[in-house]
Amino acid sequence: MIRVLPPEVVNQIAAGEVVERPFSVVKELVENSLDAGATRIDVALDDGGREAIVVVDDGAGFTPADLGLAFVSHATSKLAQLADLDHVASLGFRGEALASIGSVSRATIRSRRHDAGGGHEVHCDGGRTGDVRPAASPPGTRVEVRDLFHNTPARRRFLKTARAERARVQELLARLALARLDVDFTLRADGRELLRLPAGETLRERVGRAFGNALAEQLVDVELGQGSLRVEGLAGRPELARRDATLALLYVNGRLARDRSALQAVRQAYREHLMGAVQPVHFLLLAMPPDEVDVNVHPQKAEVRFLDGRRVSGLLFEATRAALRGSGAAPRAGAGAVGVGGDKPRAIVGLPPLPPDLFGRAERTSGGGSSPLPSGLRAVGAADRGPHTAAGVREAGAEPAPDALLGGLAGQPFVQALGCYLVFATPAGLVVVDQHALHERVTFERLRRRHDERGATLVQRLLTPEIVEVGAADKAWLLDQGEVLAAEGFVVEDFGGAAVAIQGIPAVLTRARPAALLRALLDGDAACGPVGEPDADARPRAREAVVERFHSMACRSSVMAGDRLDDAEVRALLREAARCEHAHNCPHGRPTVLTFTGAELERFFKRRV
Amino acid sequence: MKILCDRQQLQDAFSVVGGIPPVKTPNPIVQNVLLRAEGDQVVFFATDYELSARSVMASVQVLEPGAVLLPARETGQLLRELSEPTVSLAGSDDHRTTIECGSGSYQLVGDDPAEFPAEPQFDGTVELQVTSGAFLEMFRRTSFAVAREETRYAINGLLLDYDSGNLRLVGTDGRRLALCHQEIEGPDEPARAVVPLRALQALGRAIDGEQDAVLRVQLGDNRIAFQLGTTTVISQLLDNRFPAYEQVIPKVAETSIEVDRLQLERGVRRVAVLSSGDVRMVRFEFRDAALLLSAESSGVGRAKHTIDATIEGPSSAISFNPDYLLDALKVSDREIIRIDMTDDSTPARFALGETYTYVLMPISGS
Repeated sequence: MIRVLPPEVVNQIAAGEVVERPFSVVKELVENSLDAGATRIDVALDDGGREAIVVVDDGAGFTPADLGLAFVSHATSKLAQLADLDHVASLGFRGEALASIGSVSRATIRSRRHDAGGGHEVHCDGGRTGDVRPAASPPGTRVEVRDLFHNTPARRRFLKTARAERARVQELLARLALARLDVDFTLRADGRELLRLPAGETLRERVGRAFGNALAEQLVDVELGQGSLRVEGLAGRPELARRDATLALLYVNGRLARDRSALQAVRQAYREHLMGAVQPVHFLLLAMPPDEVDVNVHPQKAEVRFLDGRRVSGLLFEATRAALRGSGAAPRAGAGAVGVGGDKPRAIVGLPPLPPDLFGRAERTSGGGSSPLPSGLRAVGAADRGPHTAAGVREAGAEPAPDALLGGLAGQPFVQALGCYLVFATPAGLVVVDQHALHERVTFERLRRRHDERGATLVQRLLTPEIVEVGAADKAWLLDQGEVLAAEGFVVEDFGGAAVAIQGIPAVLTRARPAALLRALLDGDAACGPVGEPDADARPRAREAVVERFHSMACRSSVMAGDRLDDAEVRALLREAARCEHAHNCPHGRPTVLTFTGAELERFFKRRV
Repeated sequence: MKILCDRQQLQDAFSVVGGIPPVKTPNPIVQNVLLRAEGDQVVFFATDYELSARSVMASVQVLEPGAVLLPARETGQLLRELSEPTVSLAGSDDHRTTIECGSGSYQLVGDDPAEFPAEPQFDGTVELQVTSGAFLEMFRRTSFAVAREETRYAINGLLLDYDSGNLRLVGTDGRRLALCHQEIEGPDEPARAVVPLRALQALGRAIDGEQDAVLRVQLGDNRIAFQLGTTTVISQLLDNRFPAYEQVIPKVAETSIEVDRLQLERGVRRVAVLSSGDVRMVRFEFRDAALLLSAESSGVGRAKHTIDATIEGPSSAISFNPDYLLDALKVSDREIIRIDMTDDSTPARFALGETYTYVLMPISGS
């Protein structure tokens, strides 16, 4: 027998979409508060939200009439007609949230508008809404949600421990709060204050409070505008990268957004800095006109769709890349993740800044010196053979500001330890350079720079086209992006069925197997974009497939661990490395330089506790 | 088995088969070479199941007929080191063979000859005959162009294409194509096979000393046999998916150039020094009865070199990977060569000899 479900059951089912756990209740309520123009939002949880969730704000408040409709499905004050969907600037707009919450809990809304003489409240128990009654209330709104899922025990059973639910809410609130520095946020759990984010602080301060000051110190500023688009925020140094993407955050017009290609663009900017499948940490705020972004894609509103995704990705990539480059991506003291533990010295990846004249008076060891060195160490004379020795590796053209740290080491005395590590004693501490990793970086950047400078990409044409079968989606993408790919050296044509014919490959990779190159192009990190549209990723991906090969080419043509280097070679290496874009990581993301500061050595030797 | 033989003869006969045993195999017995003494000769036989070779050393003093297995790698290395004129080999019941030469004595542990794979018997359906030295020359002029990796086409082998008295060898790796042909004695029906490079390399070692002999080529459905005197090489064929090579040889050209081969080879070699390490490329400009070669290596330098040339058609320019070109120029024996080209997205054709054609795809975008 078929029957129409009563509205409260419909709402209970729909609630599953919106309300999964306390976390989702808090999200909906806080977003409502923000839309109501609140400057102060207090969230309180009892027993991880099982017993009660209370959200209090000083926002606009409900009129008694609105209050009567608050728990009715698709009742919203934010959207009157379909056309308004084009201009959604508020966070919540679907009108589902309160109805859904009301249908699976015992909820009370008490509210008073700022211009009203007194407040009112309305109660909803498992979807049955009571009458609106006068009640004492300060201006603003207080939503109290008790006994969540009391009428849907299956769902209640799926709740995690209070601690886990609390942690999720805390993380959520922190993430929401980053987009609204003008709002004061507080989170209390069982009477204890867990988070307090005062209004008016900077993004960095707020990140510090929410995620720890150690993390906040490792962030560089990002800022770039382009036409109606603007991105600003903070990008974490590569060392902060973590296994999950929970702190790879992107906000679009104040809303947390999970847009694959936008996040991928940011990840791309990190690519050379990160090793393996780790995710960068970043807090980026993207501002754009509301009609250039569609936020009505997902009930939880995490996904958005951009009118011009290519432009957005491009801006994010450029902004992040510029920020990382500007910082030299050299981690500061204390960032060490290598060899950390107990009383051992924390090894710091990268170098502390040294004034350029630091070594002017530094003592020089002599190659012929008889001072006994530990086995495995080799003393190298620092006798100056004149500046011409390094000239061979110098490139013409505009040079970026050299890395003062590596540049400062050039010409300084060193020992080559274990045939692989160049060890420098500097006033700032003991600096260790991995000769292979650093040379790999230098070689890689030289290959890439030449590739960039060549302008027109050279194509080795194929006499007999290589026929490769690819999936339908990949094929459509390859043919759609044909022109862009050809500009990067990949000449691909239709060959009927699921096959394409490779007619040419980048001349720089002439000996590579064409089919393997095409695979590398298709198997890049990102999924192929939608068919029939220009794909912002096509060019960077084609370039990436080429540059990827440079990694292994650089590895093969770099000095190896075990190669003996004399002082002229080391000087040349350091000088060129100082001009690299990312001198502190090898192309695979491994660090190239390590510093043990004086303080760390002192701690290790128990001179200082 | 016990024999006394000439060292040089032994080395020659062994070298024909010594390269065939596989380095890695689940069946280690085939890492040996079989020696079988009978009458006044010794037969050498080795196989990796896909490719097998048989050679014969004649006029041997066989003191005791029989067969032994010798580990291919060690035996080959040892024989290369020997210098005295005579060598004696003596097998024992426990599959050990003692080689004595001068004041040295070497014992090698083999395996049971009865367990060794039998020599394949093979009669082809088509037989061709060609002078061994001429075949070797064709092989040298085409084998370098063979692809080293597997692709969709079976171009990791050399195409042997026979039709009405004309034998062609064709090698290509998708970027260039080398073709050599020769008029030979043979049947009326056409025959075609893609031969693994390794089989021809083994054959090449056998031909080295026998330039004027008759090489008999027998073709079957999936195997090929080469017979040169008492030496036989039998190989599985690669499948027939060879590209339609005739279609990629350009029939028309806008510009035709004649140039001295030695001058060109020398010029390209010099200029290529300054073709940068990451993209190997030499530019050819044809105008005013001259060929201007140039190359540039970013941050290293640039080179220009002019060669006299006869040019028909409009002035033009084209770029090639110099290594691909030099591979062919150095095995050409013609004094004046001819280049036919159109533009930088169509192949250029090099006439490098009466019977030798080379097709090279240019680098475009310069």
